[in-house]
Amino acid sequence: MSNDEGYDVPLGLYYTKDHEWLKTENGLCRIGVTDYAQKTLHEVVYVDLPKRGKRVARKESLGTVESVKAVSDYFAPVGGEIVEVNDTLENKPELINKSPYGEGWIAVIRPSNLDAELKELIDNAKYKEFLTSI
Amino acid sequence: MVSAKTQLFEYHEKNSNLFDFAGFSMPLWYEGAVPECLAVRNNVGIFDISHMSRTFVQGPDAERFLNYVTTNNMAAVKPNHAQYTLICNNIGGIKDDLVIFKFDVEHYLAIFNAGNREKDLSWFKDNSKNYNIQLKEVSNEVAMFSVQGPKAASTIQKLTDSDLANIIRFDCRYTTVGGQECILSRTGYTGEDGLEICVLDASVNNPSRALKLWHDILQAGKEFGIVPCGLGSRDVLRLEAGMCLYGNDITETIDPLEASLDFVVRFEKGDFLGKEAILRKKSAGLKRKRIGLRIVGKGIPRADCKILKNDEVLGTVTSGTYSPTISCGIAMGYVPLEYSKIGEKVSIEVHGKLHEAEIVGFPFYDPKLYGVKRGS
Repeated sequence: MSNDEGYDVPLGLYYTKDHEWLKTENGLCRIGVTDYAQKTLHEVVYVDLPKRGKRVARKESLGTVESVKAVSDYFAPVGGEIVEVNDTLENKPELINKSPYGEGWIAVIRPSNLDAELKELIDNAKYKEFLTSI
Repeated sequence: MVSAKTQLFEYHEKNSNLFDFAGFSMPLWYEGAVPECLAVRNNVGIFDISHMSRTFVQGPDAERFLNYVTTNNMAAVKPNHAQYTLICNNIGGIKDDLVIFKFDVEHYLAIFNAGNREKDLSWFKDNSKNYNIQLKEVSNEVAMFSVQGPKAASTIQKLTDSDLANIIRFDCRYTTVGGQECILSRTGYTGEDGLEICVLDASVNNPSRALKLWHDILQAGKEFGIVPCGLGSRDVLRLEAGMCLYGNDITETIDPLEASLDFVVRFEKGDFLGKEAILRKKSAGLKRKRIGLRIVGKGIPRADCKILKNDEVLGTVTSGTYSPTISCGIAMGYVPLEYSKIGEKVSIEVHGKLHEAEIVGFPFYDPKLYGVKRGS
């Protein structure tokens, strides 16, 4: 399978090389896993969600996204407090496949050091370039 | 190391997501493990299992030899019938589980696990010195397909003159399927009714006969909704049925009694490899037992997860997955005998979190709704 096309990488989001995306919303950060991540996992049958109120460091594992045969950790793109969790994924984990950047969002983080940590993330052009290299 | 290819590689490469299994480049899934699993439970699916090892055992002493190197009683099997059995080492551990087809008293075909091809063959050779037999390894010359599900027989019946009403569970015979010389058996690894087909004279270097039959079966099964299935769904289906995977659930350090496979160990048949060690373990008393586990809420147990009761570690999960048939996490593992009762509540630690689980019997699905005994 070639990685240079066929993956949706929307403009305006921040990305990590672990295949998470981050969207800034009025000082908060909505996060999820990318189209590449969901296509690689294929049919998501379970999402292990983080707890509301949990304080997390950047790159800390927040949980797992799992298909029948594969388990993938996902990590906090920025540090802060988990203020919202997409509970719908408990019963509809397939939303990650259907809409990785929309209804399949995973959590909202109130960042503690946003300006510095955003610099560690990459934009859609750099992430696309990264996908062609793996 | 370059992965080995089966006769069907050209098809798999074009249509599936490939992965490496036991040194072979095999399909993990085509459309996905979930729809493939459900197709087999509800209709019919076809698997390429040419990676499995196939060895003919022939000669005047073949029956006596097989009775010595395996635990079940081959003398009790009638011609054109197959038997599930084990190869055990001298300390009573399981070297492999296998199915042996018996065509007549001097003519057998042993189907080993792919990963044990060399190990089993050299074990057979090393223990064959006092027996007048020939071992003929034909894995690369014979392709093997498994057609499984409630519509498997209807699919294959369209391609063979043999009346499948007369080929009952575990029967096997030489016949033709789609005009090709085959060995057809009513066997499988899914819990469902099904047929396995060894395509004779279909070598890896000249796979056209194998490819043709594969496509003929897909065509014949079209009206029943047949789908090609990868090893991902094969693993889920066998686990749902409560069947062991060699290397995970049974190994050289696990004996047949604790694996709950004592029904294929026939002490009364005479001497066999591992017998003394297994009898010693039997008289010493069983310490642990293979059990089924069902997650009560969410979460998917995986191999090597710890099984706990309060804070005590009881054992580990040997296989775990999400079950599309019953829509929850299921697993197999070993626990001490005193905790092995059905209904016992335990926890499984998955990624550092404890999940409530219950010990359940096999198969995991309701046998009235799914599997070979459905509707009976």
